[in-house]
Amino acid sequence: MKKGFKKGICISFFVIFSFFLPLFFKSVFIQHLLVLIGINIILVMALDMVFGQTGLVSLGHAGFMGIGAYTCVLLVMKLKTPFLIGLIGGMVSAGLFGALIGYPSLRLRGHYFVIITFICGIIFTLLFTNLIIITNGPMGIPGIPPPEIRLFGTQPIDLKSKINYYYLVLIFIFIVIYIKYRCKNSKMGRALLAVREDEDLGKSLGIHTHAYKVGIFIISTAFAGLAGALYAHYIRFIGPESFTMLHSFYFFVMNLVGGCGTMVGPIIGPMLLTVIDEVSQLFRPEVARILFGLALILMIIYMPKGIAGFVRQHIFKREI
Amino acid sequence: MFSQILLNGIFTSAIYCLIALGLTLILGVMDIADFAQAGLYMVGAFLTFIVFEIWGLNFLVSVCIAIVVVSFVGIVNNIVVYQPAMRRGANSLIAALGILLIIQNLALLVFGADYQTLQLPFGQGNVQIFNGTITLYKSMIVLIVCVLVPAVSLFLKKTKIGRAIRAVSQNKEGASIVGIGSGKVSVITFGIGSAIVGLTGALVSPIYAFDAHFGSHIIVKAFTIAIFGGLGSIPGTVVGALIIGIGENMVAGYVSTEYSSLMTFVLLILILFIRPQGIFGRKAI
Repeated sequence: MKKGFKKGICISFFVIFSFFLPLFFKSVFIQHLLVLIGINIILVMALDMVFGQTGLVSLGHAGFMGIGAYTCVLLVMKLKTPFLIGLIGGMVSAGLFGALIGYPSLRLRGHYFVIITFICGIIFTLLFTNLIIITNGPMGIPGIPPPEIRLFGTQPIDLKSKINYYYLVLIFIFIVIYIKYRCKNSKMGRALLAVREDEDLGKSLGIHTHAYKVGIFIISTAFAGLAGALYAHYIRFIGPESFTMLHSFYFFVMNLVGGCGTMVGPIIGPMLLTVIDEVSQLFRPEVARILFGLALILMIIYMPKGIAGFVRQHIFKREI
Repeated sequence: MFSQILLNGIFTSAIYCLIALGLTLILGVMDIADFAQAGLYMVGAFLTFIVFEIWGLNFLVSVCIAIVVVSFVGIVNNIVVYQPAMRRGANSLIAALGILLIIQNLALLVFGADYQTLQLPFGQGNVQIFNGTITLYKSMIVLIVCVLVPAVSLFLKKTKIGRAIRAVSQNKEGASIVGIGSGKVSVITFGIGSAIVGLTGALVSPIYAFDAHFGSHIIVKAFTIAIFGGLGSIPGTVVGALIIGIGENMVAGYVSTEYSSLMTFVLLILILFIRPQGIFGRKAI
């Protein structure tokens, strides 16, 4: 009872804090950073559903993000559908591609699955570049309109300003966190834990591991698509260069640095790395990246469970 | 037309084969997906550029220096980063990415973002085979590969060290029971694998223009070839490299250049689904 109460206080503090966060900052740059962090949190949350819960490394999530982005943008710009329909369309198409790739490839393990997702990421980038009729090729799609949300015929909510966009992203972050929580603390979550620890044992106990893996992969890719759609309408330009394998790597690193398999990790990682990355663009990016690489190596050796895992182990003395 | 494409394909496969050979040794023995080899490939090319173009020494000397330095860097990577990371059960893939970031950005700092080119070291001679022509230098590389690959294969089969490497790749615990320490073997494997990758970088530098991100693309293809052929299998690597190299050039020649790498990746995915252990692999998945 007491534990649940503590958790409730933590969560409500987090909600209130994130709600008032952008009001403290008048600087446009920091508001821009907050939106980017929010989008990255959605993506890393999605990635953590696969990596943290099943231990499978997916290096193709930037590709799924791109599919969501392109679908949403094309729906909104070519078919003139409302923004929310485009968003859902992006999620569905990314999830469909996730099913298409996940169903056969999730039978493979270890390096083989990593390589498959990795190649898929590259194939998506190649498709974005070469299907010029649909995606406008390497030129990308410029001039994406800012989203407009009309709820039941009322005045459209203006999402041009960064603060309003932040709140839109925040709503989706809460949805993703809730779904991730449900995925983790349920029959599905326990089945996936069995996959992570010992898949053969889980199978012999009668758990249909493959179905659960495919299920979580589809959910994960759908949310990657959502992040892509939000990204596209925020930056208002997408091209093949926005969704390369380097981005996939980067999201994966965010997940690892934050701490995989936890609820807080996918929030800490994107916060830290997005700020470091954007700030280092202002100075010499090469030096920053060298330091980043060094920090990454030290981190992986001395804190293999990420920041959240490290804090849990050494400060709260809890088993992961 | 056909024989020209075939010749180009054979040359591409020779390059793929060399890099995949280095990778398959490391991946098969240590189970490390060492993406940092892309950085070592680039370092090999830049070392040749410094020694051959700036200092003006002989090309063969520069290739030798590239091999020695690159294999040294590979061994240092292994001892300083991979072994501690593996001991703690950390994800070696991310460690490799960290190394790659450091190497690439150091090169960016030192050499800048411009593409570098070298002159061809042994003149501009051409060789005519059937209806196709290939430069003398490229045909030399193909010859080197034809000698080197069987040599590595023999080394693994006949020498004591080679047998130790194969033992560790098959069963680490079994090998340590009969007195083969996996630490020493992994250092040697890394030395050999990196040396091969460094050699490739050095040999290729007069042909392609290179910058700090040189190798990022070829390493992906080499990885897929290594998996495609079956981990640690040299015949598999050769066959995989030939199929991919020639197939890519065929698609580029007869269909379209944009789709050549797309086709190979799709082909690879199909083959991984049908036979995930690779064409010559033994391991059950």
